[in-house]
Amino acid sequence: MLNTAKSMNTEGNGVGVTTLLRKGNMSYSRMSKLLSELVGSGLLLELNGEKISKYMISEKGSKFLAVYYQFEDFAQSFGLRL
Amino acid sequence: MRPTKVTTKTNPTQSYQSQNAAHFYTRNVFSILVLLALPVGMEVISDVLQFIGVFVSFSIAYVAYRGVRRIHSSSLLRLTAAFVFLGFGFAVEGFVGLSQVVPNLPFSTVTVVAGLLLETTGYFFLAFSHALDVMMSKRIAVSVLIFPIISFSSAQLVDILSILSFYFVLYGVVETVYSYARTRKPDTLLIAVGLAMISLGTFVQWLSLLYLNVDVLSLLQIIMKEIGLLILFTPVLNFTVGRVRLDGTV
Repeated sequence: MLNTAKSMNTEGNGVGVTTLLRKGNMSYSRMSKLLSELVGSGLLLELNGEKISKYMISEKGSKFLAVYYQFEDFAQSFGLRL
Repeated sequence: MRPTKVTTKTNPTQSYQSQNAAHFYTRNVFSILVLLALPVGMEVISDVLQFIGVFVSFSIAYVAYRGVRRIHSSSLLRLTAAFVFLGFGFAVEGFVGLSQVVPNLPFSTVTVVAGLLLETTGYFFLAFSHALDVMMSKRIAVSVLIFPIISFSSAQLVDILSILSFYFVLYGVVETVYSYARTRKPDTLLIAVGLAMISLGTFVQWLSLLYLNVDVLSLLQIIMKEIGLLILFTPVLNFTVGRVRLDGTV
């Protein structure tokens, strides 16, 4: 989710729920729950537009993602998946 | 009458043979020197190697534990458990070895078995992590094919633990190689080589229990395990020299 929010945000004005749903391949209810958790923990920023909300990865989220990739790399070295 | 001049041509085959002979003697002289030195410093060398194993194991466990704290990964938790057990196992074995150098340290056979048990548990967790990974990726058939079911009836506990360790690590090797085939990550292949060295070490350890009169086996198994463990240390080095420090900050 964080990765999608980061990679798809090319224009810098956030990513819509539809894109996140398509890339995440999950149901809307599960996505909503996950989004509220990520926004609550400060990893995602919710940008409230006129019609729809868009999501953008926060600085904390970017740092978390970098740390996650490092540990993923570490686990993969041992042949394991996170 | 003029003496016949004998010309000697250098035969490439002879040259090759002489090189081989030189290599053979050098190697054998080295082996003899090692054998002569073994009774004197073998215990000390073994202990130093065991404690290097303790350091490497706890270092890997520490990095994995940081991962557990930061990203709450169950795979890293199992990796932490594996290397904590291995670290304690090596520590106990190291202290038991020290008791042979320092006579006042009281260690019994139970302690030796406890050390081996800890080590085997560590290898079990390593194999268990791979088994769970396999189950999650629905490769159960492969897991069942490779993971052996062996029953021991009258063998001694120490022998059983050694051979179990061998199977656990061997399973880890197979799964890591499989993982390398999937990810094509050089580090993964390196870890597979490291685990293979450890599995060979545990096999030699088992042999050393069978052939008690061959002193070299005991040292050889520790050297093989240490080389394997030092190879396993590579991801820790990559991690510490990478962008992310051990406290998880970028």
